[in-house]
Amino acid sequence: MEINLKNIFIAFLKISTILLGGGYVIIPIAQSELVEKRNWVTKEEILDYYSIAQCLGGIIAVNMAILIGCKLKGTKGALTSVLGMSLPPFLIIVLIANLIEKIVQIPNIDSFFWGVNLAVVILIYLAVKEVFLYALKDILSVFWFVLILVLACLKVNPVVLILSSLAFGLILARFKKEVKDE
Amino acid sequence: MNNILLLLFFEYFKIGLFTYGGGYASLPFLFHLSEYYKWFSYDELTQLIAISGITPGPVGLNMATFSGFKTMGITGALVASLAFILPMLLITVQVFKALDKFKENKYVKSVLYILRPTSCALILSVGLKLFYNSILTDLTFKNIDYLALFVVLILFLMTFKCKRDPAIYIFSAGILGIIVKNLF
Repeated sequence: MEINLKNIFIAFLKISTILLGGGYVIIPIAQSELVEKRNWVTKEEILDYYSIAQCLGGIIAVNMAILIGCKLKGTKGALTSVLGMSLPPFLIIVLIANLIEKIVQIPNIDSFFWGVNLAVVILIYLAVKEVFLYALKDILSVFWFVLILVLACLKVNPVVLILSSLAFGLILARFKKEVKDE
Repeated sequence: MNNILLLLFFEYFKIGLFTYGGGYASLPFLFHLSEYYKWFSYDELTQLIAISGITPGPVGLNMATFSGFKTMGITGALVASLAFILPMLLITVQVFKALDKFKENKYVKSVLYILRPTSCALILSVGLKLFYNSILTDLTFKNIDYLALFVVLILFLMTFKCKRDPAIYIFSAGILGIIVKNLF
């Protein structure tokens, strides 16, 4: 699909609308909408942008939209993607802000979102399966993956893990000439 | 009135700038706003958390819009959302440009090389925690939620047949949730 501001806006409008159940779902949605349907970025780039986005302050999904928008059409692209990303939550929240107590009481709504929550398990499985081989390509990256996974499951704060990874990456570059790429 | 808007802008700009680690990380800031300015109540904030999980878009944006709206209606919602996003726009665009310029730099490459397995591990850990909380519930394997296991199994089987479009799984899961909870 042609890369222009209108298409970028529509793509992120759609991504934001499907984004239910927490920010991590942005990866499978971006893989499906931007890699498979539109062929604008690669699945490897999606993982890289997510990795960068979580290191920056603010909302991961918004930072990812900015990075991808920038890649597609520079600063204008970033403004467009953020606008597309912000519009659905803005409109919906403004519409329902005064009805929240009634919405929570709609019959079956808790069952619906109970199911959606379970879908996140499968979506995470699909997302990780897709980028697994790209992220883990030698002993060191596998070791680091296992270490972070164990620590995260032991409830170590993700912020600590991200900052440690940043530091470890810098130390590694200091002592190693070249890391494997691609 | 203009003073409140300025204050709103300033406070949400601050939250956008200092939130670190995803949307829910902005909650402590919002509780502080509730306490300090009385713009909205604790109860409203609790409702907001419930509603954020079930409305489209990033949780953080839902929260900024909602609390802005509670403070000063549509204008408040607009100002809060804009102020919240502005620091991300200012910083992330510059970061992209810098990274693009230095993408062959060995420090940039090395940091990305380490961050990739970190991202995978963090996302996977969220999936595992969700699986544990909603299906296993504890490590004894005695209190397994079979209804939840059933839904996840069906969704898993769908992955062999369906496209990888998340919308399909999200809505099928919602419908399955209603069916299963009503049947059993």
